[in-house]
Amino acid sequence: MRITVDTEACTGHALCLANAPDVFVLDDLGYNVTPAGEVAPELEEQARRGALSCPEMAITIEE
Amino acid sequence: MTPVDGSPARDRSPVVEFDVYQHDSMAGSNAAWAAVREECPVMWSPRNGGHWTIAGYEDVAAVFRDWETFSSERTDPERSSVSIGAANIPLLIPEEIDPPRWKPLRRILAELLSPNAVERLRPRVEHWVTHTIDQFIERGEAELAHDLSVPVPSLVTMEWLGWPAEEAAGAASVFHDMAKFQHGTPEYAAGAARFQWLMEQVSKELVARRESPRDDALTAIALYEVDGEQLPQEVAEAIVFMTIGGGVDTTTALTSAALVHLGTHPEDRQRLIDDPSLIDSATEEFLRFYPPARTHARTVTTDVEFAGCPMHAGDRVLVSEISANRDESAFPDPDTFDIDRFPNRHISFGVGIHRCPGSHLARLEFKTSIREVLRRLPDFVLDQDAVVEYPNWSVIGGWGSIPVTFTPGPRS
Ligand code: HEM
Ligand code: SF4
Repeated sequence: MRITVDTEACTGHALCLANAPDVFVLDDLGYNVTPAGEVAPELEEQARRGALSCPEMAITIEE
Repeated sequence: MTPVDGSPARDRSPVVEFDVYQHDSMAGSNAAWAAVREECPVMWSPRNGGHWTIAGYEDVAAVFRDWETFSSERTDPERSSVSIGAANIPLLIPEEIDPPRWKPLRRILAELLSPNAVERLRPRVEHWVTHTIDQFIERGEAELAHDLSVPVPSLVTMEWLGWPAEEAAGAASVFHDMAKFQHGTPEYAAGAARFQWLMEQVSKELVARRESPRDDALTAIALYEVDGEQLPQEVAEAIVFMTIGGGVDTTTALTSAALVHLGTHPEDRQRLIDDPSLIDSATEEFLRFYPPARTHARTVTTDVEFAGCPMHAGDRVLVSEISANRDESAFPDPDTFDIDRFPNRHISFGVGIHRCPGSHLARLEFKTSIREVLRRLPDFVLDQDAVVEYPNWSVIGGWGSIPVTFTPGPRS
């Protein structure tokens, strides 16, 4: 699984972090700065929940 | 109709006589919005100065996100640009500012209210919730709006700002006291007088912080620099005012909503008592089901067709968070309160650039308050006939009175 964050669309709700604390990295202001990349298999479920929780739909998942 | 200046005719349609200020109860407001979604989710209403009305989830989100077409910038000094029909409201910063000026003004609050900054406030939030419940826990009865959902956000916000402690509770409750009473009543007039006083205090406190800085948010705002210059006094005042006016009674309303809900839905209360970890998904559902900020407004900047409707530069637009949150195309079974609902991408904190920077603090205050109520007065009984709602549900929804009785407990 691969995740990409659209940093233009992210407005810092931080719900991705609440749902996937081991996947997403936020900067000091609470905006998502996770680099695009592969997700470890054991974190895939977290990553999916994180992406689904984002009100800006800023996170894309490719399975 | 004849075209003006070669532009398309001002054939604003469809036209519906919809008056959002007639929404004088939660049930009435919800029913009115359900009818709008069903019959005409984008329409022109001639009432309240005339405005487009946007009711569906996707359209509401699209308007919030497209700040270039749907501006938040103040156009009339006397009237709010971000709520329909509201006169004599001081300018809200950063809410009524568009980019590029918006960005540095937003940044100071994003820093002061970031997830990490709010995490550092956790012990203070816990302190104030405990302190507030201690004041009534031995009595076995309380009015939970007055005794809990009003004081907690007031005390937390004012301490964070650095307000003199003795005045904190009275200062921040001004907005609740105005929302609770009808315009024209003596109680409302008393609230309005205190509002003037609060504005003067904000001004004084900021001047004082410039002279003798402290470790608080007032100082951070007073000394914040954009392009090497401190903010003009009136801009700093408007930012502080927005955190009190935008942050306190909204959090109060959310807490009140949950208390009334838990007082009338024993099965939801029991689930939260049995499994406190459900509070996270429950919080999003309380937000979706009972959005404290029910509507916002924007101004069209350029002639545009939106959802098939001809919109013109200068037209006002009413966007409905409550209606978006109940749209069945976005939320299966939207009129059912579902503690486990996921995903739950409600609009209650807005979306797009202006989305609420206070959301992290609001969630912390709310979760702490509800957790402690369920721990310390889990058997509270709501006197349902004596519950009082705010008299108007057009812009903010909330409760004036939430009387309960419970088994008395010890102070902690
Ligand atoms: C449950 C509580 C709250 C709710 C429902 C709420 C709701 C909202 C909404 C819907 C917006 C977007 C308005 C728009 O797009 O025009 C907003 C913006 C804002 N809120 Fe909140 N809010 C809450 C708590 C707070 C708190 C605790 C604070 C500060 C301490 C705060 C400060 C602000 C500010 C400064 C803005 C404007 C942001 C900008 O323009 O960039 N809010 N809020
Ligand atoms: S939930 Fe979405 S908008 Fe919020 S921080 Fe995460 S990516 Fe950004």
